[in-house]
Amino acid sequence: MFSVAGFGTLGAVHSSEHDADFTPSFFKPDGAGYTNDWSMAPDSLAALQATAVFTPRLSAVVQVLAQQNYNDTFWPHVEWADVKYQFTPEFGIRAGRTVVPTFLVSEARNVGYTYQWLRPPVEVYGLDPNTSNDGLDASYRLQTGKVLQTLELVFGSRNQEVAHAGQVKAEQRWIVSDTLEYGALTLHVAFQKTTLAVPYLAGLFDAFRAFGTQGNALADEYDPQRKRATILSLGALYDPGRWFVTAEGGRSNLDSVFGRNSGWFASGGYRFTKFTPYLTYGVASTNGLSDAGLGTAGLPPAVAAEAMALNDTLDTLLSTKRVQNTVSAGIRWDFMKNADFKLQVDHTRIDAGSTGALLNIQPGFTLGARYTLIGAAVDFVF
Amino acid sequence: MLGLSMSLSVGAAVVTVVSSKSPVLALSKSQIADIFLGRSYRYPDGAPATPIDQPEASSLREQFYNTVAGETLALVKAHWSKIIFTGRGQPPKIVGSGAELKKLLAANPLAIGYIDSADVDASVRVVDSR
Repeated sequence: MFSVAGFGTLGAVHSSEHDADFTPSFFKPDGAGYTNDWSMAPDSLAALQATAVFTPRLSAVVQVLAQQNYNDTFWPHVEWADVKYQFTPEFGIRAGRTVVPTFLVSEARNVGYTYQWLRPPVEVYGLDPNTSNDGLDASYRLQTGKVLQTLELVFGSRNQEVAHAGQVKAEQRWIVSDTLEYGALTLHVAFQKTTLAVPYLAGLFDAFRAFGTQGNALADEYDPQRKRATILSLGALYDPGRWFVTAEGGRSNLDSVFGRNSGWFASGGYRFTKFTPYLTYGVASTNGLSDAGLGTAGLPPAVAAEAMALNDTLDTLLSTKRVQNTVSAGIRWDFMKNADFKLQVDHTRIDAGSTGALLNIQPGFTLGARYTLIGAAVDFVF
Repeated sequence: MLGLSMSLSVGAAVVTVVSSKSPVLALSKSQIADIFLGRSYRYPDGAPATPIDQPEASSLREQFYNTVAGETLALVKAHWSKIIFTGRGQPPKIVGSGAELKKLLAANPLAIGYIDSADVDASVRVVDSR
């Protein structure tokens, strides 16, 4: 049996902050605000998926997805491509490119039709914008009375181009995840450990190393070269049908200039047949947004100036960690079969010293700014 | 008045059925919902279950998911989209009518479906526990 299905989102978003861009993922190079007053790049995508069921046990899936790439093209890429062998109805192994089950809605993160928000809250979902892994994925379902659990173990790696940062390598990635369903309640917990290499900063930290012991210590602390990265997340959803409440928290430790970041959100909504208004509150926090850097006392003026320039670059990098909170209000309208229309307004307050989740920061940008997003989207599945 | 509206709603009721040859006697709403929403692959006795759906546009389908899961068809579609688009599974097979379903149930004692209560006959067993 061979079947083809697809999904997509056509969205436009406006940001009141004109000295920086808003986009939900650091894989994207620009967005709304500075580059475009209104931008379709942050939320729009389209995908086609082919599923082949060879035998009741053996099947294969290929999903091709087009969205704004790191280099501002919209060329499609292979999002999933795996072969699954289902040993029993409960136990299966997939090999190839599969989903990264970090968060509660990670599995369907790209499929806007499956959730109420215009986009998953950036305070949590921005902690890990990765959606795919190259490797193996074992899944086991366990039913004990009315409690259903899905245990997953994922192993693999993934190399991806990040906008303005070159290639990022996630190697020796291990993820364990458990999703527990009991009636209207869903709980999800996941832990991920990977070795992360972000080579584009090597030049900067080599320059720090030229400053001897002090420079070496700073480079060892901050250089994201093959550093251990972990993400722990815990999410809950209670959805009896007419209404829903959900909350999720996550903590990442990138053990480098990208630091320890955490975020949580709470969201709820009520379904009036075709209209679902909802509210969300999200908070993101981090450790140190700045560092004293290299001491300049006693250095010749030219060398001191170089040290100060390096310190400034380090501080700028540290300030890009996100510390912010967002209040979002929106409505989903199921205006026709297999399609919805969404309208969402987000008001974000960035904390002092941080650029929040924004990018392409311009000279006129004030750290700790506040901004409002207005977004609209149509999601569809077929 | 109340008695009349109650009997009317009972008259148009959707019932969950298996083949009369199936060993399954009764299932709770949540057990039925779990089987139809892909959360459970088996009957309580451990035998694998094959759920069969009615056409997407049918009012019976709307009534069924509303009754067993409290979900609109849009929510059911959203639920399956989550499963389909990660390659985890496929939604239940669809039959065109109650008569077609009964034929399929007669051929497969592991299958389970739903029909209008007016279509119930000796070939099927209603398994909704009261």
